[in-house]
Amino acid sequence: MAYSSASLSSAFTAVVAAHLSVCGACRERLRQTDAIGGQLLSQRDGLALSPGASERLMAKLKAEPSASTSTATAPSTPRADDPDALPMPLWPYFGRSYRELDWKWIGPGIHHIRAQGVREDHLMLLRVAPGRSLPMHTHGSNELTMILRGAYDDRLGHFAPGDMADLDCDIEHQPVTSPGVPCICVAATDAPLMFSGWMARMLQPFVRL
Amino acid sequence: MSVTVSRDSTTDWSAHMAAVAARQDVDAFMRIFDHFGPRLQRYLVGMSIAPSQAEELVQEAMLRVWRRAAQFDPARANVSTWLFRIARNLYIDSVRNEPHWLEIQDALDQLDDLAATPGESPAESFADGVGLERAVNELPPQQARMIRMSYFEAKSHSEIARELGQPLGSVKSSLRRAFAKLQAALGKTP
Repeated sequence: MAYSSASLSSAFTAVVAAHLSVCGACRERLRQTDAIGGQLLSQRDGLALSPGASERLMAKLKAEPSASTSTATAPSTPRADDPDALPMPLWPYFGRSYRELDWKWIGPGIHHIRAQGVREDHLMLLRVAPGRSLPMHTHGSNELTMILRGAYDDRLGHFAPGDMADLDCDIEHQPVTSPGVPCICVAATDAPLMFSGWMARMLQPFVRL
Repeated sequence: MSVTVSRDSTTDWSAHMAAVAARQDVDAFMRIFDHFGPRLQRYLVGMSIAPSQAEELVQEAMLRVWRRAAQFDPARANVSTWLFRIARNLYIDSVRNEPHWLEIQDALDQLDDLAATPGESPAESFADGVGLERAVNELPPQQARMIRMSYFEAKSHSEIARELGQPLGSVKSSLRRAFAKLQAALGKTP
């Protein structure tokens, strides 16, 4: 619903869009939410446009190429069958390919990449080696995470590719990544300095046990 | 031209869209503008952008409607829903200066074009709109207010709680209840 009403920041919107790209049920839910928005829109009184607004629009229509209704350019769509492709909504931030990601080491078995050009909040990819138990930690702020590859378990459940975890500062958890492939997730957080603090806490065993 | 049918004294805007798509019907298009233009303006000004900028976005939204009339699928959305999406996406694109936002939204929409399931007729989805209208009118005033603040002022739950002087928890549960009622009126539960 926050997505529909445009009240999410860029970073959180990117995670939600990534999830939408793999989850038809949520796209359907968004359609319903937008239907409510549309209904509210039509039930409200309008706000008068300035005089001449119609004429301006008419002039613009005349300037349109006549076959315009059929020539809308199709945006490039991701190839769903390409196992190397990131979800399309993440392309502007991280590029298109898992292979070409430029991981930075931040701790034993843990790498990350910060997104470029995010104006509000913080967006990052996180990769944790398989079969690794992270120390118990809480979150200093709101955090929205979506699993891209691999999986992890914590007391909230099992999180597999496509799943989203909506964490806030009340939730304390100890993720354990599943064996096999590294767990890669995309995360949005709303605290500017939280990431380093969070990592520091995470890498400091027993601090919250 | 007889694209106007009466159902609960509502105009069938989908038929207007069909006329725009089929023969670039300027009259039908301008009627859509006359009706929805000021409503889009209300929506955009409510999102606290300057009226002059809002007007520019209304013009841009309507141009997108014109260009993409053929993509409008009455089985999947009411015209008002479609316009709401277009205006919201343009708002995010322009106000937040979000890179690639429109491109991403278009691609997300296309995913469903590929997987669109037939079965729901335009008449049915139009009827959905009527049920939804009733449900909006029947919301308790407080819930209706929260829903409007959320949709039309882009307020977060905590901002709504602050403004109404209510605990965050009760704002969340009120919104959840209101949302469930509206969703039930749409006749589909996810």
